[in-house]
Amino acid sequence: MSDLSAAAAALGIPEPLVQRSAAARAAQLGVSVDEILAQWAGGQAVPAATAPAPAAQPEPETAEPTPEAAAPAPVATPDVVIEVPGAPAEPAPAQPAGPYKPPVLVGAKDNPMTVLAGAVGLFVIVFLVGLIGPSIPTDIPGARTSHIDYSEAALHGQQVYLVAGCAACHTQMVRPVVADVGLGPVTLNDTNQVLGTRRFGPDLSDVGSRVAAGQIEAIIGGLGDHPGHDLGEEDMSDLVAYLAESNTSGGQPGAES
Amino acid sequence: MADTRTADIRTLLGGGSPEDRLSVTHLLVGAGFLIVGGILQLLSLMALRFAYLFPISYGRLEPAANLSLIIGFATISLVGGVYYVLPRLTGARLAMVRFGGLGLLGMAGLTVLGLLAIFLGFGDGDQPLGLPWWLDIPLAGVLFVPALMTVATIRQRVEQRSFVTLWFVIGGVVWLPLLYVGYLLADVPAASSVAVAYSQTFFSSGFVTMVLVTLGSGLTYYTVVKELDVPLASRQLALVGFWSLGFAAVWWGAAQLLFGPGPAWVAGVAAALGLAWPIGAIANASNVTMTLEGSWSDLGENPSVLSGLLGLYLTVGVAVVAALAGFRSIGAVASLTAFWEAIEYVALSGVSVLLVSAMSFSALPRMSGRELETARKARRFQRLTITGSVGVLVSLGAAGLLSGYSWIGGANSAAFVPVGEGWQTALGTSYTTLLFVAVLFGLVLFAGLGGYASILFGTLTRGRAIPQEVLVSREMGDE
Repeated sequence: MSDLSAAAAALGIPEPLVQRSAAARAAQLGVSVDEILAQWAGGQAVPAATAPAPAAQPEPETAEPTPEAAAPAPVATPDVVIEVPGAPAEPAPAQPAGPYKPPVLVGAKDNPMTVLAGAVGLFVIVFLVGLIGPSIPTDIPGARTSHIDYSEAALHGQQVYLVAGCAACHTQMVRPVVADVGLGPVTLNDTNQVLGTRRFGPDLSDVGSRVAAGQIEAIIGGLGDHPGHDLGEEDMSDLVAYLAESNTSGGQPGAES
Repeated sequence: MADTRTADIRTLLGGGSPEDRLSVTHLLVGAGFLIVGGILQLLSLMALRFAYLFPISYGRLEPAANLSLIIGFATISLVGGVYYVLPRLTGARLAMVRFGGLGLLGMAGLTVLGLLAIFLGFGDGDQPLGLPWWLDIPLAGVLFVPALMTVATIRQRVEQRSFVTLWFVIGGVVWLPLLYVGYLLADVPAASSVAVAYSQTFFSSGFVTMVLVTLGSGLTYYTVVKELDVPLASRQLALVGFWSLGFAAVWWGAAQLLFGPGPAWVAGVAAALGLAWPIGAIANASNVTMTLEGSWSDLGENPSVLSGLLGLYLTVGVAVVAALAGFRSIGAVASLTAFWEAIEYVALSGVSVLLVSAMSFSALPRMSGRELETARKARRFQRLTITGSVGVLVSLGAAGLLSGYSWIGGANSAAFVPVGEGWQTALGTSYTTLLFVAVLFGLVLFAGLGGYASILFGTLTRGRAIPQEVLVSREMGDE
């Protein structure tokens, strides 16, 4: 059995870890790795490091002070401590007494479960007010609706529209703002079109009143600056049907507005 | 020493405590997805400018990039950070470590399957991730794993005094699956179009504030205090930051649909409560800044602290821009434009990689016993990331404002009335030039993302051996 294996067995730590720890310790002490391993394999303690290794002391956050700790106080031993694995049995050198420095990674005594309950409660409020609230249908004037009675083919075309990612660039939402003047009737709450959140390409809520079906198909295929989409025959015809039926103003392509 | 340099990652992952091995694995997997997501995000930006050149449209590139960055990189990496700090803050072993491994496998596997589904045309097209329902549901389940492990670990805690990071960890890991479930619930086939649109902005904005920035800020608090060994400046300010972020989520997302078919009251509430994000971000950034008092001279030598500080400052910048766009006057110009794309782009790549690197630059050497490779590379990564992020934010944001003003100008001059599509011509070369500038800065940002991944892999394969922190049980240490 090599010194490495023997040391690993003696320490109960995986060999790669022992190897790296030994290398680090050897570099620190100015001795060879083999010497360190031989010492560890024989169960001998190595001389204390001249300078304390960064991780050789228990983590400050795990050393819990008593709540009243204004002066050095007995430290409760936690279940988990941080150690350099190569020297588990090494007694810590006596430290000169100095001014007490409280651990920096502890806070007030509290119950994290309260925070958990608060986080869940807050989410419920945010969900109700921020998502459900805006989604509740609102009364709209009976004179007009944004709901379109799409054909079966057009409804399938709407799925094609979604899957192809059209909604990433096109809105189907006309807002009552100056920027949207001329795009078609303002979209109401009962719309069944795909609203979208970005308008890198034209708004398509009323595209059927402006562009003929044949031209729509050509654009989808890559006419002009539009990226070409290689759709199957049925998907293409259904998508064209969806867009051609997206006609909220009731106009006809080519007709003078 | 020489033989330790030849050790490969697999060997390295064989050492250390189970929770640290799990954490390191999360960081490595996250870095892999960062590269994939960074490439896809850059391609999506190019597809906006050169749409006719790309065989895959922006509509598929963008959800694929979002999936890689949101789940593949940010979620997996931040969960790795959570597994690193939990035992150190609670004094208890991480509960259900093997369950955590399965969780990682699930998140990574579902991300890969999701990418395939999107590119093969099986996605559902819903923003921001576009996953089909048969991937949405298992992903929602997998996202509960970190929450369950966190709660189980905290229940066994020895340390009764909570450092502020613990709040942020609890909030982030609990809100993550709840957000996803909320997103799915509002996106069922029977849901109205308005509900679907709000659910999409609800998740994308909620992820950024309630998960990414919450967990990132909390881990940065831990990193800064641990690295500098100084107490936190203000626990109360951290409290303000935490609850503000939890409350901010929906509102900057809802502001994207300003003047849309939702209820009119949403605009007012979004403008008022959207301010919670900058409030939370400023609280955290100022708290860390005050904590650094007296340590500024050491900042250049400490990549993790500098990354955290830069990440928090960049968060403030993004949050302020987002909050401004929530006001009706600015929203009338900015909503639906590339202005919002700029905010999401920088939040998902620049902010996330800086906050994640703050934690990983500090944690990785301690967990792996390898010195960070190298301080010089870390500084270059920070410079590239900040330059690229600010450049994309400004140029893409300006392109958005330009298009918004062009729409208004076109409407006023009746240029669009006959055809409705004339706006693209009206935007002219200024818009396309700004998009091109954004692509250039996107390249710089991507170089920064690549730098982060390179540092991580370089640390594990070439980093000089240093003493390693290993969590061992009291029984083990006593033997």
